[in-house]
This record gives sequence, structure tokens and C-alpha cells, in this order.
Amino acid sequence: MSPTPSLREDAARLLREGRVKLVIGYRAHAGGGQGPAVPEGACRAPLAGGGGRRPAFIEEAHRAGELVFDGACSQNLAAYLKKPEVRARMPLAIVASEAVGRSLVSLAAESQFAQGALLALAFRGERYEGVKEVEELAALAREAAPEPRRDPDIGRRLAELAAWPAQRRAEWWSARFSRCTRCYACRAACPGCYCQRCVTERNVPQWVSTAALGHGNYAWNMIRAFHQAGRCTLCGACASACPQGLPLMLLNTFLAAQAAEQFDVEAGLDPAAKPLIGTWDPEDDNSFFT
Amino acid sequence: MKSLSADRLQDLAAALSAAGYRVVAPVEADGVVRFAPWSPGAAIRTDAVPVNSLKDVFFPPSEAIGRWRRSGDGFDAIETRPEAPKTAALAARPCDVAALAMLDAVFNWDFRDSFYDARRAATVVAALACSEADEECFCTSVGGRPDAAPGADALLRPADGGRTLIVEPLTDQGRDLAAAASGVLQDGAAAPDAPPEVRRRFDIGRVGAWLAGNFDSPLWKELSLPCLGCAACAYACPACHCFDIQDESGPNGVVRLRNWDACGLGLFTLHASGHNPRPDQASRWRQRVMHKLAYAPERFKVAACTGCGRCGRVCPRGMSLADTAERIAAAAAPAAGPAAGVPA
Repeated sequence: MSPTPSLREDAARLLREGRVKLVIGYRAHAGGGQGPAVPEGACRAPLAGGGGRRPAFIEEAHRAGELVFDGACSQNLAAYLKKPEVRARMPLAIVASEAVGRSLVSLAAESQFAQGALLALAFRGERYEGVKEVEELAALAREAAPEPRRDPDIGRRLAELAAWPAQRRAEWWSARFSRCTRCYACRAACPGCYCQRCVTERNVPQWVSTAALGHGNYAWNMIRAFHQAGRCTLCGACASACPQGLPLMLLNTFLAAQAAEQFDVEAGLDPAAKPLIGTWDPEDDNSFFT
Repeated sequence: MKSLSADRLQDLAAALSAAGYRVVAPVEADGVVRFAPWSPGAAIRTDAVPVNSLKDVFFPPSEAIGRWRRSGDGFDAIETRPEAPKTAALAARPCDVAALAMLDAVFNWDFRDSFYDARRAATVVAALACSEADEECFCTSVGGRPDAAPGADALLRPADGGRTLIVEPLTDQGRDLAAAASGVLQDGAAAPDAPPEVRRRFDIGRVGAWLAGNFDSPLWKELSLPCLGCAACAYACPACHCFDIQDESGPNGVVRLRNWDACGLGLFTLHASGHNPRPDQASRWRQRVMHKLAYAPERFKVAACTGCGRCGRVCPRGMSLADTAERIAAAAAPAAGPAAGVPA
């Protein structure tokens, strides 16, 4: 049975009762569907363009009928919590796939919204679970993924890379990063990239060259990945936003595995978790200082 | 009539390469087709619109436009010239070629940009007429067409059901290119293929009229809500041309770089004081649309949008200039409904 009627009813009710000012969800694109088949390699990332789905911003109960949800709803809507225009409309509700749910839990752990400012219209797969508070979302996420989920294909590619000498690996990454145009679609699409002034935009002093050239591109992509270590929920929004198809999930998955292995951290499962990067503990392993 | 078999584009590239041209063309790397330098053996992809546009050949994402060497307490300037090797740009789409009118105008408006001009002069453009259009294509809505490239030096026109490419030189440089490639061209008749139908999505006159009177419309806020403020659309756009200038210093000197920039980024108009005259995404998205469909036509008599559709293909949120223009056209004439009644 389609989950859409209960989703629409809940959204309309929350708006009507004044519990939220805004519902962010998905709507069908007027153009509909993916259109004609696009040849392999054409400039359409698999998830970019929303696969015929577009973000919907609903402020009036009678418009809740525009909401849809299915497997094509792949954009991570949690990224909208960065927009001042959206934050001004809190409390709000977000249609939350498992990936969006984990991002919301991670953002809660980093105190990115006040308690009660956000409700989720939660899904597990395509099954609608109802209106959830962040703690309930976290419980759903833990239930859905009791063990860390890693893409086995990415795991294989990482193992291949790990077997190479460092120099060859660096050259491989340099060649990939050379295609980066510094459009920052990765950063924009990432719910976790919420710095008001990104490190690449700091110019007194300038830490990272903003030219779309070798060393600046390498530094930018590596720094972004490191800033996500232990925070990234592996939703894949950055990689699917990248027009150049850079293999960003290799970096993210590698760092997520390191965070899990070395600090027992799995992002997006516990809203009370201490943020890995934002926490300093005198008992931290310092053995890498030599 | 000169032509070549469609599966011999690589031979054409090889012949031009042997004749001293650097060849740029749509080539694939890691699953993405880009306009990039061709190297022997690389397949030229005519079945996909490259993720980047022809503009990159003339106006790269970053380039050094000045250099200084440290000398005592001061600096000595090092003459910096554009890298502008003799180049043949193969299989550029008509929409990319159409954008050259905009780029030529803006880079030679109040200042002649020697870097852009040097590469433009050194490059011969052989366009490829389209044989397919996807749902994002909208050249016909902004005055273009898929089967003509008036600003190109030559046109490769699909014929015989895609098996043949007719080579139509349009300028002296195009004739030079055809002469340099004469070894791979054949004589004889070929039947040109019918161009694809590119749906007309909005009336640009109606959109322009609405833009002239709606700077403060609440529609901007609504249209811009999905925008996350990156530069994917601007950097993929064949007509976007904004840049930033950055001096990078090292122990031995300074390099002055010209880097792409985009009005969608929050930093674009941020003043040192902290004031930002475009404080939200609504004012930034409005600027992008106004620049393309109001300011550029007013100043240069050309739209800064050629309907290539890349913005809609790359936007992580599926926004596009065509969708926006469609909404505006509908707002301009609510009774007509979106795109209805637009004369073909």
C-alpha cells in the first residue's frame, strides 16, 4: 500500500495544528520521470536532478497533497537546515528516509537545532513510520542498521588502493582531484557542512588555495573529508552532487571505518553522542606524536 | 560535399593533431564525458553532452594572469602570457557555440581580455549538430536551434541515419581545418538527418517583460528555496563568465590567479565590512536569472543562456533555468498556464 496518504495526512495535521510552520519533503517534478534514456557517461549523476523528484516546501495544510515518497526520493533534505530561510521557519518537519534520519540524529548530536524545533516524517525503506522525535529516529536507525553498513564495492576498491604504494595512491587521487572545479556542490549538498565560513573561504590567512588547480584541489577535498571523519553518515549526497563524478565516497567510507575502529564512533545513531571532532579527551591516543 | 564516416571522428582528430592542432573534444574519463584534450586512442563521444562546456577552452577554471618574483624588498614582474596553442575544438554542441557571442562580448566590452582573446584567436571550432535532445534541452526557447551553429568555423552534420558526418566549413579557419583533414574526408552525397525536436518551454519575450517589473516579487523566494548555494550550475554553464582574482604568495614570489566565481555562492558579494547586498539565496538566484535573461540582453543584445540544459542536469536539487523561466512565464500570464499556447 502506498504510504503517501498517511504521510500527507500527518503533514497537513502538523501544519493545521500549528505544531510546525513548514514541512520539507518531496514532490513529483512537473516534467515527470527521468525523460529519455541518457547514455552511460552523460552529464547526469545517478542521483542528481532528483530522479524526477524535487524538494517541496509546504507551509499550508491544503498543499500537503503535493507530497510524495518513493525510492526516487534520494536527495538528503537535512541539508536545508543550513539555510537561514529554512531555519527561520522552525519548528518544522522533514520527510526523512533512513539516510535523512541519520543526518538529523548527527546534527542533533552536534546541537544544530533546538529540542522541539524539528519533527521527522520518518520512513524505513518505503514504509511510513509516522511522526517521530529525534530520539525515536535514532532508535529506528539503530534498529535498521544494528551493524555498520558499508558498501562492499567501495570496500573492495579501498582494499585495492590500500595495496598500492603511497606515491601511486597520491598520483591516482591527484588525477581525480584535478577535475574538481571548486563548485562546492559537495559542501552544499552535505548536511554536515554547516560552517558559516568554510575553511576554504578563510583568507586571513588563506589556508587553502581557492584556484581549481592541483594542490588547492587536493587540499580542499582532503580537508573536507577529514572534517567529516566520525560525523559523515555515508548518505552519499556529496558524491551524487559532484558534477565531475569524483569518488568522494571512497574517502568518506575510509574515514568512517577509521573513526569506528579507532574511536568506536558510528555517526547518526545517537543524538546524545559526543561529537568525535568536537571533543577532546586527555585519555585520547597520542601515540602518533613522535 | 565533404563528409566522413561517423565512426572516424578519431581519425579526424588524429589528422588534425598531425597537422599541428591541439584537439579538444568530448572524451570520457571515469564514467564522465568532459570537453578535454584529446589523446590518440580516446573515443570522441558524440552521444553525450559533456559535463563541462566549450567555454573551458577559452576561459579555464583557473589560470595565472600575472607573476612576480621577490627581489630584495620588492618584486619584479615576470611577463605572463596566455597559453594559447593552435587548437581545434571538435564536436562542440550548437548551444555551446551560441554562448561564444556572450563571452566574446563580455571579454571585449570595456577592456580587451588578452588571455581570452588569444585562445579564441588560436582556436577553430567545429560544431556537431545534435541528433538527440533530452528533457533538459531548451535551445529553441532562447532563440537557438539544434542543427545550426552560426558562430562556429565548421559544422559536422549527422547524415545517413547517423552513419555519416557532413563537414560544412563556415569560415576561412573552418576551410583550413577541412583542408588539414582532407586525408580522412570523402566526397559524395549524404542525406542530412532531421534535427531532433526540442520542445519550446517558454516565451522568452514574456519572461523578459515579467523580469522588467518584478525585481521585488515574492516569487524569487519561492523559486530559490530548493537552491543550496553552490556553483555547479554556473560552472557547467557555457555563458557564465564571472571570476575572482586571487594573489597567492610563496617564498619566491606571487602568482595572480583568475578563478571562476559564481553569483550563487554566498561569498560572491560579501563586503569586507560584513555587509552583503545579496544577503539570501533569493537575491542570488534572482541575480542569476536577471543577468541571463534581462541584463545581458539589455547590454549586449544576447541572452546569457543558450538552453544547453546543463544547469538542470548537474543541479543536486534538480533546479534549472528552464524550470524557473517556465514558472515566470506562467506568472506573467496566469490564464495561459505553463508553457501552453507558446507559438512554435
